[in-house]
Amino acid sequence: MIDSAPVVITFTGRIWQEEMKKQNSLFAYVLVFTLAQISWFFLLGLWIYWYVTNYLILNLVEEKITTEVVGGGANVFALVSGLILLVMISIGMSLIFIYLTKQMNITRLYDNFIANITHELKSPLASIQLYLETMRKRQIPDKVRNEFVAAMLEDADRLNKLITSILDISALEQKRIAYNFQVYEVDAIIKELIDYAIFQFKIDPKNVSFEGSAGCQSVIDRGAFQIVINNLFDNALKYSKSKFQLQVQLSRNPKNVLIKITDYGMGIPLNEQKNIFQKFYRIQSAAMPSVKGSGLGLYWVREIIRSHGGRISLYSAGESQGTAFTIELPIYKTSKKSYIKRLLKYSHQTKKQLDAMHEPVK
Amino acid sequence: MNPLNESFNSILLVEDEESLARGLIYNLEAEGFRVHHVGDGLAALEAFHSQSFDLIILDIMIPHVDGFEVASRIRETDPQMPILILTARTTLKDRLKGLETGADDYLSKPFHLEELLLRVQGMLKRKSWYKKPLQDHPFYRFGDNEINFENLKCRAGRKSFILTPLEAMVMKYLIENKDRVISRRELLEKVWNITSEVETRTVDNFILRLRKYFEPDSSRPIYIKSVRGSGYIFSDH
Repeated sequence: MIDSAPVVITFTGRIWQEEMKKQNSLFAYVLVFTLAQISWFFLLGLWIYWYVTNYLILNLVEEKITTEVVGGGANVFALVSGLILLVMISIGMSLIFIYLTKQMNITRLYDNFIANITHELKSPLASIQLYLETMRKRQIPDKVRNEFVAAMLEDADRLNKLITSILDISALEQKRIAYNFQVYEVDAIIKELIDYAIFQFKIDPKNVSFEGSAGCQSVIDRGAFQIVINNLFDNALKYSKSKFQLQVQLSRNPKNVLIKITDYGMGIPLNEQKNIFQKFYRIQSAAMPSVKGSGLGLYWVREIIRSHGGRISLYSAGESQGTAFTIELPIYKTSKKSYIKRLLKYSHQTKKQLDAMHEPVK
Repeated sequence: MNPLNESFNSILLVEDEESLARGLIYNLEAEGFRVHHVGDGLAALEAFHSQSFDLIILDIMIPHVDGFEVASRIRETDPQMPILILTARTTLKDRLKGLETGADDYLSKPFHLEELLLRVQGMLKRKSWYKKPLQDHPFYRFGDNEINFENLKCRAGRKSFILTPLEAMVMKYLIENKDRVISRRELLEKVWNITSEVETRTVDNFILRLRKYFEPDSSRPIYIKSVRGSGYIFSDH
Protein backbone atom coordinates (compact mmCIF):
# COMPACT_ATOMS: atom_id res chain seq x y z
CA MET A 1 0.00 0.00 0.00
CA ILE A 2 1.06 3.52 -0.61
CA ASP A 3 2.27 5.47 2.27
CA SER A 4 0.31 8.65 1.70
CA ALA A 5 0.90 9.84 5.21
CA PRO A 6 2.11 13.42 4.68
CA VAL A 7 -0.87 14.65 2.77
CA VAL A 8 -3.28 12.80 5.00
CA ILE A 9 -1.74 14.57 7.91
CA THR A 10 -2.09 17.90 6.16
CA PHE A 11 -5.70 17.32 5.20
CA THR A 12 -6.89 15.65 8.35
CA GLY A 13 -4.71 18.05 10.23
CA ARG A 14 -6.91 20.90 9.21
CA ILE A 15 -10.10 19.01 10.02
CA TRP A 16 -8.59 17.88 13.26
CA GLN A 17 -7.75 21.46 14.09
CA GLU A 18 -11.37 22.42 13.51
CA GLU A 19 -12.50 19.61 15.77
CA MET A 20 -9.97 20.70 18.33
CA LYS A 21 -11.24 24.25 18.11
CA LYS A 22 -14.73 23.01 18.90
CA GLN A 23 -13.46 20.90 21.76
CA ASN A 24 -11.32 23.76 22.97
CA SER A 25 -14.28 26.08 23.02
CA LEU A 26 -16.23 23.54 25.09
CA PHE A 27 -13.25 23.18 27.39
CA ALA A 28 -13.06 26.97 27.67
CA TYR A 29 -16.72 27.12 28.70
CA VAL A 30 -16.25 24.51 31.38
CA LEU A 31 -13.09 26.25 32.56
CA VAL A 32 -14.79 29.64 32.78
CA PHE A 33 -17.70 28.06 34.63
CA THR A 34 -15.43 26.30 37.10
CA LEU A 35 -13.31 29.40 37.65
CA ALA A 36 -16.41 31.50 38.17
CA GLN A 37 -17.70 29.03 40.73
CA ILE A 38 -14.35 28.98 42.51
CA SER A 39 -14.27 32.75 42.60
CA TRP A 40 -17.79 32.85 44.01
CA PHE A 41 -16.84 30.44 46.75
CA PHE A 42 -13.74 32.48 47.40
CA LEU A 43 -15.86 35.62 47.69
CA LEU A 44 -18.25 33.75 49.95
CA GLY A 45 -15.35 32.71 52.18
CA LEU A 46 -14.04 36.25 52.17
CA TRP A 47 -17.46 37.52 53.07
CA ILE A 48 -17.79 35.15 56.06
CA TYR A 49 -14.22 35.87 57.13
CA TRP A 50 -14.85 39.60 56.96
CA TYR A 51 -18.04 39.21 58.94
CA VAL A 52 -16.48 37.03 61.64
CA THR A 53 -13.42 39.26 62.13
CA ASN A 54 -15.56 42.38 62.19
CA TYR A 55 -17.90 40.72 64.58
CA LEU A 56 -15.00 39.96 66.93
CA ILE A 57 -13.65 43.50 66.67
CA LEU A 58 -17.09 44.87 67.20
CA ASN A 59 -17.47 42.61 70.22
CA LEU A 60 -14.24 44.00 71.64
CA VAL A 61 -15.27 47.58 71.13
CA GLU A 62 -18.88 46.88 72.03
CA GLU A 63 -18.48 47.98 75.61
CA LYS A 64 -16.96 51.26 74.57
CA ILE A 65 -19.65 52.41 72.11
CA THR A 66 -23.39 52.50 72.21
CA THR A 67 -25.46 49.47 71.28
CA GLU A 68 -27.26 51.34 68.46
CA VAL A 69 -24.11 51.61 66.42
CA VAL A 70 -23.17 47.95 66.79
CA GLY A 71 -26.66 46.87 65.70
CA GLY A 72 -26.08 43.09 65.84
CA GLY A 73 -29.43 42.58 64.03
CA ALA A 74 -28.35 44.67 61.07
CA ASN A 75 -25.09 42.71 60.79
CA VAL A 76 -26.90 39.39 60.62
CA PHE A 77 -29.13 40.87 57.97
CA ALA A 78 -26.09 41.90 55.93
CA LEU A 79 -24.61 38.45 56.22
CA VAL A 80 -27.81 36.67 55.24
CA SER A 81 -28.60 38.95 52.31
CA GLY A 82 -25.02 38.69 51.10
CA LEU A 83 -25.19 34.92 51.26
CA ILE A 84 -28.52 34.83 49.43
CA LEU A 85 -27.10 37.08 46.73
CA LEU A 86 -24.08 34.85 46.25
CA VAL A 87 -26.19 31.70 46.14
CA MET A 88 -28.49 33.30 43.58
CA ILE A 89 -25.57 34.32 41.42
CA SER A 90 -24.25 30.79 41.66
CA ILE A 91 -27.63 29.34 40.61
CA GLY A 92 -27.79 31.87 37.78
CA MET A 93 -24.40 30.79 36.57
CA SER A 94 -25.46 27.15 36.63
CA LEU A 95 -28.60 27.92 34.65
CA ILE A 96 -26.63 29.84 32.05
CA PHE A 97 -24.27 26.90 31.77
CA ILE A 98 -27.13 24.43 31.28
CA TYR A 99 -28.74 26.56 28.56
CA LEU A 100 -25.42 27.12 26.90
CA THR A 101 -24.90 23.37 26.67
CA LYS A 102 -28.38 22.95 25.20
CA GLN A 103 -27.75 25.74 22.74
CA MET A 104 -24.51 24.16 21.63
CA ASN A 105 -26.30 20.90 21.05
CA ILE A 106 -28.91 22.65 18.92
CA THR A 107 -26.19 24.42 16.96
CA ARG A 108 -24.58 21.08 16.19
CA LEU A 109 -27.88 19.63 14.98
CA TYR A 110 -28.51 22.80 13.02
CA ASP A 111 -25.21 22.43 11.17
CA ASN A 112 -26.32 18.94 10.24
CA PHE A 113 -29.65 20.30 9.11
CA ILE A 114 -28.01 22.88 6.86
CA ALA A 115 -25.91 20.16 5.21
CA ASN A 116 -28.97 17.95 4.71
CA ILE A 117 -31.22 20.71 3.49
CA THR A 118 -28.56 21.94 1.06
CA HIS A 119 -28.43 18.45 -0.34
CA GLU A 120 -32.21 18.16 -0.52
CA LEU A 121 -32.50 21.48 -2.33
CA LYS A 122 -29.60 20.98 -4.70
CA SER A 123 -30.41 17.45 -5.85
CA PRO A 124 -33.70 18.24 -7.62
CA LEU A 125 -32.15 21.45 -8.92
CA ALA A 126 -29.21 19.51 -10.38
CA SER A 127 -31.62 17.14 -12.05
CA ILE A 128 -33.72 19.93 -13.58
CA GLN A 129 -30.61 21.70 -14.82
CA LEU A 130 -29.28 18.49 -16.35
CA TYR A 131 -32.51 17.83 -18.25
CA LEU A 132 -32.71 21.39 -19.54
CA GLU A 133 -29.10 21.35 -20.71
CA THR A 134 -29.65 17.95 -22.31
CA MET A 135 -32.63 19.31 -24.23
CA ARG A 136 -30.58 22.25 -25.41
CA LYS A 137 -27.59 20.14 -26.43
CA ARG A 138 -29.27 17.22 -28.16
CA GLN A 139 -32.00 16.31 -30.60
CA ILE A 140 -34.40 14.32 -28.49
CA PRO A 141 -37.34 12.22 -29.69
CA ASP A 142 -40.73 13.42 -28.46
CA LYS A 143 -41.30 10.42 -26.24
CA VAL A 144 -38.04 10.95 -24.36
CA ARG A 145 -38.70 14.67 -24.19
CA ASN A 146 -42.00 14.00 -22.47
CA GLU A 147 -40.27 11.75 -19.96
CA PHE A 148 -37.76 14.51 -19.25
CA VAL A 149 -40.50 17.06 -18.73
CA ALA A 150 -42.31 14.70 -16.37
CA ALA A 151 -39.12 14.15 -14.39
CA MET A 152 -38.51 17.90 -14.17
CA LEU A 153 -42.04 18.54 -12.97
CA GLU A 154 -41.56 15.88 -10.30
CA ASP A 155 -38.36 17.56 -9.16
CA ALA A 156 -40.01 20.97 -9.11
CA ASP A 157 -42.80 19.50 -7.01
CA ARG A 158 -40.25 18.04 -4.61
CA LEU A 159 -38.56 21.41 -4.25
CA ASN A 160 -41.87 23.10 -3.67
CA LYS A 161 -42.89 20.60 -0.98
CA LEU A 162 -39.62 21.00 0.84
CA ILE A 163 -39.72 24.79 0.79
CA THR A 164 -43.37 24.82 1.87
CA SER A 165 -42.64 22.46 4.74
CA ILE A 166 -39.79 24.62 6.02
CA LEU A 167 -41.95 27.72 5.88
CA ASP A 168 -44.90 25.92 7.49
CA ILE A 169 -42.80 24.63 10.35
CA SER A 170 -41.44 28.07 11.00
CA ALA A 171 -45.00 29.48 10.97
CA LEU A 172 -46.12 26.73 13.34
CA GLU A 173 -43.30 27.55 15.74
CA GLN A 174 -44.12 31.22 15.77
CA LYS A 175 -47.83 30.45 16.09
CA ARG A 176 -48.54 32.35 12.89
CA ILE A 177 -50.36 29.45 11.28
CA ALA A 178 -54.00 29.83 10.30
CA TYR A 179 -55.53 26.77 11.91
CA ASN A 180 -58.79 25.36 10.78
CA PHE A 181 -59.93 23.13 13.63
CA GLN A 182 -63.29 21.49 13.31
CA VAL A 183 -65.23 18.73 15.01
CA TYR A 184 -65.03 15.47 13.05
CA GLU A 185 -66.16 11.87 13.42
CA VAL A 186 -62.77 10.29 14.02
CA ASP A 187 -63.42 7.02 12.13
CA ALA A 188 -64.56 8.79 8.97
CA ILE A 189 -61.93 11.53 8.85
CA ILE A 190 -58.98 9.23 9.56
CA LYS A 191 -60.16 6.80 6.87
CA GLU A 192 -60.43 9.69 4.43
CA LEU A 193 -56.97 11.06 5.25
CA ILE A 194 -55.45 7.62 4.92
CA ASP A 195 -57.17 6.95 1.60
CA TYR A 196 -55.75 10.22 0.34
CA ALA A 197 -52.25 9.31 1.49
CA ILE A 198 -52.60 5.93 -0.25
CA PHE A 199 -53.57 7.78 -3.43
CA GLN A 200 -50.76 10.33 -3.12
CA PHE A 201 -48.00 7.81 -2.48
CA LYS A 202 -49.38 5.45 -5.13
CA ILE A 203 -49.51 2.62 -2.61
CA ASP A 204 -51.38 -0.59 -3.36
CA PRO A 205 -54.43 -0.31 -1.04
CA LYS A 206 -54.04 -4.01 -0.25
CA ASN A 207 -50.90 -3.18 1.68
CA VAL A 208 -52.70 -0.93 4.14
CA SER A 209 -55.10 -2.51 6.58
CA PHE A 210 -57.62 -0.51 8.57
CA GLU A 211 -59.00 -1.93 11.80
CA GLY A 212 -61.10 -0.96 14.78
CA SER A 213 -63.14 2.11 15.42
CA ALA A 214 -63.12 4.96 17.91
CA GLY A 215 -66.82 5.81 17.56
CA CYS A 216 -66.48 9.35 18.83
CA GLN A 217 -65.63 12.89 17.80
CA SER A 218 -62.43 14.89 18.00
CA VAL A 219 -61.31 18.34 17.03
CA ILE A 220 -58.94 18.12 14.10
CA ASP A 221 -57.30 20.45 11.61
CA ARG A 222 -57.77 18.43 8.47
CA GLY A 223 -54.91 19.93 6.47
CA ALA A 224 -52.43 19.66 9.33
CA PHE A 225 -53.48 16.11 10.14
CA GLN A 226 -52.97 15.09 6.52
CA ILE A 227 -49.38 16.25 6.94
CA VAL A 228 -49.06 13.99 9.99
CA ILE A 229 -50.41 10.96 8.14
CA ASN A 230 -48.31 11.70 5.05
CA ASN A 231 -45.12 12.01 7.08
CA LEU A 232 -45.72 8.75 8.89
CA PHE A 233 -46.53 7.00 5.60
CA ASP A 234 -43.48 8.51 3.93
CA ASN A 235 -41.22 7.28 6.74
CA ALA A 236 -42.76 3.82 6.60
CA LEU A 237 -42.15 3.70 2.85
CA LYS A 238 -38.58 4.98 3.15
CA TYR A 239 -37.62 2.58 5.88
CA SER A 240 -39.32 -0.59 4.71
CA LYS A 241 -36.67 -2.64 2.96
CA SER A 242 -38.62 -5.01 0.77
CA LYS A 243 -42.09 -5.63 2.07
CA PHE A 244 -44.23 -2.57 2.65
CA GLN A 245 -47.18 -3.23 4.91
CA LEU A 246 -49.03 -0.76 7.11
CA GLN A 247 -51.58 -1.39 9.77
CA VAL A 248 -53.86 1.40 11.02
CA GLN A 249 -55.78 0.68 14.21
CA LEU A 250 -58.37 2.93 15.80
CA SER A 251 -59.50 2.62 19.40
CA ARG A 252 -60.30 4.80 22.39
CA ASN A 253 -59.88 4.98 26.11
CA PRO A 254 -62.04 7.07 28.47
CA LYS A 255 -60.28 10.32 27.54
CA ASN A 256 -58.50 9.86 24.24
CA VAL A 257 -58.82 8.50 20.75
CA LEU A 258 -55.89 6.22 19.89
CA ILE A 259 -54.63 6.02 16.32
CA LYS A 260 -51.93 3.40 15.95
CA ILE A 261 -49.93 3.14 12.74
CA THR A 262 -47.65 0.12 12.56
CA ASP A 263 -45.12 -0.70 9.86
CA TYR A 264 -42.92 -3.74 9.42
CA GLY A 265 -39.87 -1.79 8.35
CA MET A 266 -36.43 -1.34 9.81
CA GLY A 267 -37.54 -0.21 13.23
CA ILE A 268 -35.73 2.31 15.37
CA PRO A 269 -32.77 1.42 17.60
CA LEU A 270 -33.73 1.68 21.28
CA ASN A 271 -31.12 4.29 22.10
CA GLU A 272 -32.37 6.57 19.32
CA GLN A 273 -36.05 6.45 20.21
CA LYS A 274 -36.00 9.34 22.61
CA ASN A 275 -34.26 11.56 20.07
CA ILE A 276 -36.19 11.10 16.89
CA PHE A 277 -38.85 13.71 17.55
CA GLN A 278 -36.15 16.26 18.19
CA LYS A 279 -35.80 19.03 15.66
CA PHE A 280 -33.12 18.40 12.98
CA TYR A 281 -32.31 15.00 14.49
CA ARG A 282 -31.38 12.20 12.12
CA ILE A 283 -30.31 8.67 12.90
CA GLN A 284 -26.78 8.04 11.64
CA SER A 285 -26.56 4.37 10.86
CA ALA A 286 -25.09 2.40 8.00
CA ALA A 287 -28.08 0.07 8.08
CA MET A 288 -30.47 2.87 7.17
CA PRO A 289 -31.46 2.61 3.52
CA SER A 290 -32.02 6.32 3.15
CA VAL A 291 -29.58 8.84 4.41
CA LYS A 292 -31.51 11.78 3.12
CA GLY A 293 -34.03 14.04 4.70
CA SER A 294 -34.26 17.28 6.58
CA GLY A 295 -34.65 15.89 10.09
CA LEU A 296 -37.84 17.91 10.38
CA GLY A 297 -40.58 15.37 9.56
CA LEU A 298 -41.22 13.79 12.95
CA TYR A 299 -40.61 17.05 14.77
CA TRP A 300 -43.30 18.59 12.60
CA VAL A 301 -45.64 15.67 13.28
CA ARG A 302 -45.17 16.03 17.03
CA GLU A 303 -45.75 19.79 16.96
CA ILE A 304 -48.98 19.38 14.99
CA ILE A 305 -50.26 16.69 17.35
CA ARG A 306 -49.36 18.90 20.32
CA SER A 307 -51.30 21.77 18.82
CA HIS A 308 -54.28 19.39 18.76
CA GLY A 309 -53.85 18.88 22.49
CA GLY A 310 -52.66 15.35 21.86
CA ARG A 311 -49.41 13.43 22.03
CA ILE A 312 -47.49 10.97 19.91
CA SER A 313 -45.37 8.09 21.10
CA LEU A 314 -43.58 5.25 19.40
CA TYR A 315 -42.82 1.67 20.09
CA SER A 316 -40.17 -0.33 18.33
CA ALA A 317 -38.51 -3.44 19.68
CA GLY A 318 -35.32 -2.32 17.94
CA GLU A 319 -33.70 -2.58 14.54
CA SER A 320 -35.64 -4.56 11.88
CA GLN A 321 -38.55 -5.00 14.28
CA GLY A 322 -40.92 -2.48 12.71
CA THR A 323 -42.26 0.65 14.34
CA ALA A 324 -45.63 1.53 15.83
CA PHE A 325 -46.59 5.17 16.23
CA THR A 326 -49.52 5.89 18.54
CA ILE A 327 -51.31 9.21 18.31
CA GLU A 328 -53.58 10.22 21.18
CA LEU A 329 -56.18 12.89 20.58
CA PRO A 330 -58.55 14.26 23.21
CA ILE A 331 -62.17 13.17 22.72
CA TYR A 332 -64.43 16.13 22.01
CA LYS A 333 -66.36 17.36 25.04
CA THR A 334 -64.67 14.78 27.26
CA SER A 335 -61.10 15.83 27.87
CA LYS A 336 -59.15 19.09 27.68
CA LYS A 337 -62.45 20.89 27.24
CA SER A 338 -61.27 24.45 27.68
CA TYR A 339 -58.25 23.99 25.44
CA ILE A 340 -60.37 22.48 22.67
CA LYS A 341 -62.92 25.24 23.06
CA ARG A 342 -60.18 27.79 22.57
CA LEU A 343 -58.97 25.99 19.43
CA LEU A 344 -62.44 26.06 17.92
CA LYS A 345 -62.96 29.68 18.84
CA TYR A 346 -59.59 30.64 17.42
CA SER A 347 -60.27 28.76 14.17
CA HIS A 348 -63.65 30.41 13.88
CA GLN A 349 -62.10 33.86 14.29
CA THR A 350 -59.38 33.12 11.76
CA LYS A 351 -61.95 31.90 9.29
CA LYS A 352 -63.99 35.07 9.73
CA GLN A 353 -60.91 37.21 9.16
CA LEU A 354 -59.99 35.25 6.06
CA ASP A 355 -63.54 35.50 4.71
CA ALA A 356 -63.53 39.24 5.30
CA MET A 357 -60.23 39.53 3.44
CA HIS A 358 -61.54 37.62 0.46
CA GLU A 359 -64.86 39.42 0.27
CA PRO A 360 -65.09 41.37 -2.99
CA VAL A 361 -64.89 45.13 -2.61
CA LYS A 362 -68.22 46.74 -3.35
CA MET B 1 -18.60 10.64 -31.56
CA ASN B 2 -15.60 11.22 -29.45
CA PRO B 3 -12.56 9.21 -30.53
CA LEU B 4 -11.92 8.35 -26.90
CA ASN B 5 -15.06 6.33 -26.74
CA GLU B 6 -14.22 4.04 -29.60
CA SER B 7 -13.51 1.22 -27.23
CA PHE B 8 -16.78 1.98 -25.40
CA ASN B 9 -15.36 2.99 -22.10
CA SER B 10 -17.57 1.76 -19.33
CA ILE B 11 -18.61 3.92 -16.43
CA LEU B 12 -19.95 2.90 -13.05
CA LEU B 13 -22.52 5.48 -11.99
CA VAL B 14 -23.31 5.49 -8.27
CA GLU B 15 -26.25 7.80 -7.72
CA ASP B 16 -29.40 7.21 -5.69
CA GLU B 17 -31.35 10.16 -7.06
CA GLU B 18 -33.38 8.31 -9.69
CA SER B 19 -34.23 11.34 -11.74
CA LEU B 20 -30.67 12.65 -11.90
CA ALA B 21 -29.34 9.16 -12.66
CA ARG B 22 -31.70 8.77 -15.62
CA GLY B 23 -30.54 12.07 -17.09
CA LEU B 24 -26.88 11.16 -16.59
CA ILE B 25 -27.30 7.72 -18.15
CA TYR B 26 -29.02 9.24 -21.17
CA ASN B 27 -26.20 11.71 -21.72
CA LEU B 28 -23.32 9.35 -21.07
CA GLU B 29 -24.81 6.76 -23.39
CA ALA B 30 -25.34 9.41 -26.02
CA GLU B 31 -21.59 10.12 -25.77
CA GLY B 32 -20.90 6.47 -26.44
CA PHE B 33 -20.13 5.21 -22.95
CA ARG B 34 -21.46 2.04 -21.47
CA VAL B 35 -23.09 2.91 -18.15
CA HIS B 36 -23.78 0.62 -15.25
CA HIS B 37 -25.97 2.32 -12.68
CA VAL B 38 -26.33 1.41 -9.00
CA GLY B 39 -28.17 3.27 -6.27
CA ASP B 40 -26.22 2.55 -3.08
CA GLY B 41 -22.75 2.02 -1.69
CA LEU B 42 -22.97 -1.73 -1.19
CA ALA B 43 -24.18 -2.31 -4.73
CA ALA B 44 -21.38 -0.06 -5.96
CA LEU B 45 -18.71 -2.15 -4.24
CA GLU B 46 -20.30 -5.36 -5.51
CA ALA B 47 -20.38 -4.03 -9.07
CA PHE B 48 -16.80 -2.81 -8.77
CA HIS B 49 -15.57 -6.24 -7.70
CA SER B 50 -17.55 -8.20 -10.27
CA GLN B 51 -17.02 -6.08 -13.39
CA SER B 52 -14.36 -3.86 -14.80
CA PHE B 53 -14.85 -0.15 -15.34
CA ASP B 54 -12.81 2.67 -16.78
CA LEU B 55 -14.22 5.36 -14.54
CA ILE B 56 -16.51 5.80 -11.55
CA ILE B 57 -18.91 8.67 -10.99
CA LEU B 58 -19.74 8.67 -7.33
CA ASP B 59 -22.32 10.46 -5.20
CA ILE B 60 -21.44 10.95 -1.52
CA MET B 61 -24.76 10.79 0.28
CA ILE B 62 -25.78 7.30 -0.74
CA PRO B 63 -27.39 4.59 1.39
CA HIS B 64 -25.59 1.89 3.37
CA VAL B 65 -21.98 2.82 2.64
CA ASP B 66 -21.29 6.47 1.91
CA GLY B 67 -19.32 7.71 -1.09
CA PHE B 68 -16.15 8.53 0.86
CA GLU B 69 -16.02 4.98 2.16
CA VAL B 70 -16.71 3.54 -1.31
CA ALA B 71 -13.87 5.66 -2.75
CA SER B 72 -11.38 4.61 -0.12
CA ARG B 73 -12.28 0.91 -0.40
CA ILE B 74 -11.92 1.08 -4.17
CA ARG B 75 -8.54 2.78 -3.72
CA GLU B 76 -7.39 -0.09 -1.55
CA THR B 77 -7.75 -2.56 -4.40
CA ASP B 78 -7.34 -0.29 -7.40
CA PRO B 79 -5.23 2.82 -6.85
CA GLN B 80 -5.53 3.77 -10.50
CA MET B 81 -9.28 3.84 -10.98
CA PRO B 82 -10.35 7.38 -11.92
CA ILE B 83 -13.05 8.49 -9.49
CA LEU B 84 -15.18 11.58 -10.03
CA ILE B 85 -17.14 12.67 -7.00
CA LEU B 86 -20.42 14.31 -7.88
CA THR B 87 -22.15 15.72 -4.86
CA ALA B 88 -24.25 18.45 -3.34
CA ARG B 89 -21.92 18.60 -0.37
CA THR B 90 -19.63 21.48 -1.06
CA THR B 91 -17.99 22.45 2.21
CA LEU B 92 -14.22 22.68 2.29
CA LYS B 93 -14.19 19.81 4.77
CA ASP B 94 -16.06 17.58 2.31
CA ARG B 95 -13.79 18.52 -0.55
CA LEU B 96 -10.69 17.77 1.46
CA LYS B 97 -12.16 14.50 2.60
CA GLY B 98 -12.99 13.62 -1.00
CA LEU B 99 -9.43 14.23 -2.17
CA GLU B 100 -8.02 12.53 0.89
CA THR B 101 -9.98 9.34 0.24
CA GLY B 102 -8.54 9.25 -3.24
CA ALA B 103 -11.02 10.87 -5.56
CA ASP B 104 -9.41 12.44 -8.61
CA ASP B 105 -11.95 15.13 -9.18
CA TYR B 106 -14.81 16.78 -7.38
CA LEU B 107 -17.83 18.30 -9.11
CA SER B 108 -20.61 19.89 -7.10
CA LYS B 109 -24.32 19.75 -7.84
CA PRO B 110 -25.91 21.45 -9.65
CA PHE B 111 -23.37 21.12 -12.46
CA HIS B 112 -23.19 21.95 -16.15
CA LEU B 113 -23.57 19.02 -18.51
CA GLU B 114 -20.68 20.18 -20.72
CA GLU B 115 -18.38 20.50 -17.74
CA LEU B 116 -19.23 17.01 -16.55
CA LEU B 117 -18.59 15.50 -19.97
CA LEU B 118 -15.30 17.40 -20.32
CA ARG B 119 -14.10 16.21 -16.97
CA VAL B 120 -15.07 12.61 -17.69
CA GLN B 121 -13.20 12.75 -20.98
CA GLY B 122 -10.30 14.52 -19.34
CA MET B 123 -10.01 11.85 -16.71
CA LEU B 124 -10.13 9.05 -19.26
CA LYS B 125 -7.52 10.83 -21.37
CA ARG B 126 -5.27 11.22 -18.36
CA LYS B 127 -5.71 7.57 -17.57
CA SER B 128 -4.37 6.63 -20.98
CA TRP B 129 -1.78 9.38 -20.90
CA TYR B 130 0.05 8.41 -17.75
CA LYS B 131 0.22 4.85 -19.02
CA LYS B 132 2.13 5.98 -22.10
CA PRO B 133 5.75 5.09 -21.42
CA LEU B 134 8.40 7.75 -21.23
CA GLN B 135 10.54 7.65 -24.38
CA ASP B 136 9.30 4.13 -25.11
CA HIS B 137 10.52 3.00 -21.78
CA PRO B 138 8.04 2.12 -19.05
CA PHE B 139 10.62 2.54 -16.28
CA TYR B 140 12.13 5.72 -15.06
CA ARG B 141 15.03 5.68 -12.63
CA PHE B 142 16.56 8.45 -10.61
CA GLY B 143 18.81 7.97 -7.61
CA ASP B 144 17.56 5.01 -5.66
CA ASN B 145 14.09 5.38 -7.10
CA GLU B 146 12.28 3.60 -9.87
CA ILE B 147 8.84 4.33 -11.27
CA ASN B 148 6.96 2.00 -13.59
CA PHE B 149 4.45 4.10 -15.48
CA GLU B 150 2.70 0.99 -16.80
CA ASN B 151 1.33 -0.13 -13.47
CA LEU B 152 2.44 2.79 -11.28
CA LYS B 153 4.52 0.54 -9.06
CA CYS B 154 7.47 2.29 -7.53
CA ARG B 155 10.56 1.49 -5.61
CA ALA B 156 12.44 3.91 -3.41
CA GLY B 157 15.44 2.18 -1.89
CA ARG B 158 13.90 -0.86 -0.25
CA LYS B 159 10.42 0.56 -0.04
CA SER B 160 7.92 -0.31 -2.72
CA PHE B 161 4.52 1.26 -3.24
CA ILE B 162 1.97 2.26 -5.84
CA LEU B 163 1.26 5.82 -6.96
CA THR B 164 -2.24 7.12 -7.51
CA PRO B 165 -2.97 8.29 -11.06
CA LEU B 166 -2.75 11.92 -10.08
CA GLU B 167 0.53 11.45 -8.26
CA ALA B 168 1.86 9.59 -11.27
CA MET B 169 0.78 12.35 -13.58
CA VAL B 170 2.38 15.07 -11.49
CA MET B 171 5.57 13.02 -11.38
CA LYS B 172 5.47 12.32 -15.09
CA TYR B 173 4.94 15.97 -15.92
CA LEU B 174 7.87 16.96 -13.72
CA ILE B 175 10.09 14.34 -15.30
CA GLU B 176 9.10 15.21 -18.85
CA ASN B 177 9.98 18.81 -18.13
CA LYS B 178 13.03 18.18 -16.05
CA ASP B 179 15.49 20.98 -15.35
CA ARG B 180 12.78 23.52 -16.14
CA VAL B 181 10.91 25.56 -13.55
CA ILE B 182 7.24 24.66 -13.56
CA SER B 183 4.73 26.93 -11.93
CA ARG B 184 1.90 25.68 -9.76
CA ARG B 185 -0.56 27.14 -12.23
CA GLU B 186 1.02 25.22 -15.08
CA LEU B 187 0.78 22.00 -13.13
CA LEU B 188 -2.85 22.70 -12.33
CA GLU B 189 -3.66 23.36 -15.96
CA LYS B 190 -1.67 20.54 -17.46
CA VAL B 191 -2.27 17.81 -14.91
CA TRP B 192 -5.54 18.63 -13.22
CA ASN B 193 -6.92 20.11 -16.40
CA ILE B 194 -8.63 22.83 -14.38
CA THR B 195 -7.87 26.28 -13.25
CA SER B 196 -10.40 27.51 -10.77
CA GLU B 197 -11.59 24.43 -8.93
CA VAL B 198 -8.45 23.29 -7.20
CA GLU B 199 -6.42 25.68 -5.13
CA THR B 200 -2.70 25.96 -5.68
CA ARG B 201 -2.34 24.56 -2.16
CA THR B 202 -3.41 21.22 -3.57
CA VAL B 203 -0.32 21.22 -5.78
CA ASP B 204 1.89 21.86 -2.76
CA ASN B 205 0.26 18.97 -0.95
CA PHE B 206 0.97 16.64 -3.86
CA ILE B 207 4.57 17.79 -4.05
CA LEU B 208 4.94 17.16 -0.31
CA ARG B 209 3.60 13.68 -0.80
CA LEU B 210 5.91 12.95 -3.73
CA ARG B 211 8.94 14.21 -1.80
CA LYS B 212 8.04 11.91 1.04
CA TYR B 213 8.07 9.03 -1.42
CA PHE B 214 11.22 9.74 -3.35
CA GLU B 215 13.48 12.08 -1.42
CA PRO B 216 16.00 10.63 1.01
CA ASP B 217 15.25 13.60 3.26
CA SER B 218 11.98 15.27 2.38
CA SER B 219 12.81 18.44 4.27
CA ARG B 220 15.94 18.89 2.13
CA PRO B 221 14.83 17.77 -1.32
CA ILE B 222 17.40 17.03 -3.98
CA TYR B 223 15.14 15.89 -6.84
CA ILE B 224 11.99 18.01 -6.55
CA LYS B 225 13.19 21.43 -5.51
CA SER B 226 11.14 24.52 -4.81
CA VAL B 227 11.94 27.66 -6.71
CA ARG B 228 10.91 30.52 -4.53
CA GLY B 229 7.98 32.46 -5.92
CA SER B 230 7.90 30.47 -9.15
CA GLY B 231 7.15 26.83 -8.58
CA TYR B 232 9.05 23.57 -8.73
CA ILE B 233 11.89 22.08 -10.66
CA PHE B 234 12.79 18.43 -11.11
CA SER B 235 16.30 17.22 -11.76
CA ASP B 236 17.55 13.66 -11.56
CA HIS B 237 21.16 14.31 -10.75
